Amino acid sequence: MRQFHAAIVEFRRGFDGAIATHPYESGWADEAVFFVELEELSVGSTVRLAVQLSPDGLRWVDEGTVLELDQPDHVMARLTNFGGFLRLAGEVTGTAHRCTMTVRLALKG
Amino acid sequence: MQSSALALPISFAGYDPLERILSADDFDRGMSGWLDLRPNFTGRDFAAHDHRIDLEHWGPTMLSSATFPFAGTHGSASGTYSLKLGTRWPAARADQPPAPGSMGLAIKRLATPIGATRLRIEALVAATAVQDRPGLGVDAMRSFGLLVDLQDAEHRWMPGVRWVNAVDGAPERRWQYYAATTADDVGWSYGEAGWHRAGIDPQWFGRRYPDGSTDGTAWFGDQPQPLIYNETDDKINWMRLALTIDLRARRYLGFEAHDRSLTFPEGAAPTLADPYANIGGLLNPVFFVEADGDQPVTLFVDSVLVSWSDR
Repeated sequence: MRQFHAAIVEFRRGFDGAIATHPYESGWADEAVFFVELEELSVGSTVRLAVQLSPDGLRWVDEGTVLELDQPDHVMARLTNFGGFLRLAGEVTGTAHRCTMTVRLALKG
Repeated sequence: MQSSALALPISFAGYDPLERILSADDFDRGMSGWLDLRPNFTGRDFAAHDHRIDLEHWGPTMLSSATFPFAGTHGSASGTYSLKLGTRWPAARADQPPAPGSMGLAIKRLATPIGATRLRIEALVAATAVQDRPGLGVDAMRSFGLLVDLQDAEHRWMPGVRWVNAVDGAPERRWQYYAATTADDVGWSYGEAGWHRAGIDPQWFGRRYPDGSTDGTAWFGDQPQPLIYNETDDKINWMRLALTIDLRARRYLGFEAHDRSLTFPEGAAPTLADPYANIGGLLNPVFFVEADGDQPVTLFVDSVLVSWSDR
């Protein structure tokens, strides 16, 4: 039977401007799903999140997948063929440029 | 080697368990029931049960290959993977409550076997700083440690040990154990009585002092014990820890760390609190790591063996 682990990477975390989720080691997994639960977002603001890969948890490269939200919502990104570390990076822009989100990472392999 | 160890995988060859095995976790076989230690989300809209300090943003626990920017993958003592505990955000000063995200904690939830008289928690661990800056992060870690949350018919109690590596940047390299506190519930919870009774969760409660002590710790009388940090942040060495507890007398029996057997004072014991509801008989080992400054730090746990005796 394959391994499975769901990690709470960010929990009800407030971001102001720049966003970067905690580097999460995922080298053992074959597939991953980022679940993003955007809980609070000021009216007129937008959240943009790019999936990033890293060989060491310190140096990041865009994977190509981008999530954009302009209201509280629950969205996901499916990933395969990634390196050791995963994160979401981006920014919240607009009138108040502040948001709160929970990010979960479901890993299987 | 005692008979119980003969049936264990080779990854436990260096261990010295008591007669009966409760759990044997080699993280090459997955998370093995270890996960983040998080608060109880029993409040309104699933709010956490206690807000005296931020219990929600400790660094997340993960399976790690111990991979570094210049060394590549270090692996574990007996394979590729270990359990990694890490910090997320900078620490507060030593005399302040732990800052949000300045610790990382992992827990496994078990139950005390019928007739258990002694308990031993053993592990192979390695600790280092995240190599996010040039230099040597030997003083970046405030502490790491292990404790076990226990509740019998009369008391909830949390024996454990804490290696204080550095205090506000100054090297310390000395061990503490969790001792009986004289604090009341209000003092224990940083000035406002809450869910945490005096002595409960000593890894983050109990007033803290500039020398690295807390209302819930006592220093071992032994000389400082430098552990192996190695000569750069990306070289780690696996070292053994073994904590033995007398479950009947609620006392410490022994603690071995790396190359030393430390001596508890006669009668050394943690705080004996009143029991909590719905947790009678629980046996929850916990590992933790804590930053000292703004550099994140990591505790790798290769494997954990929980053993017991009914003699």
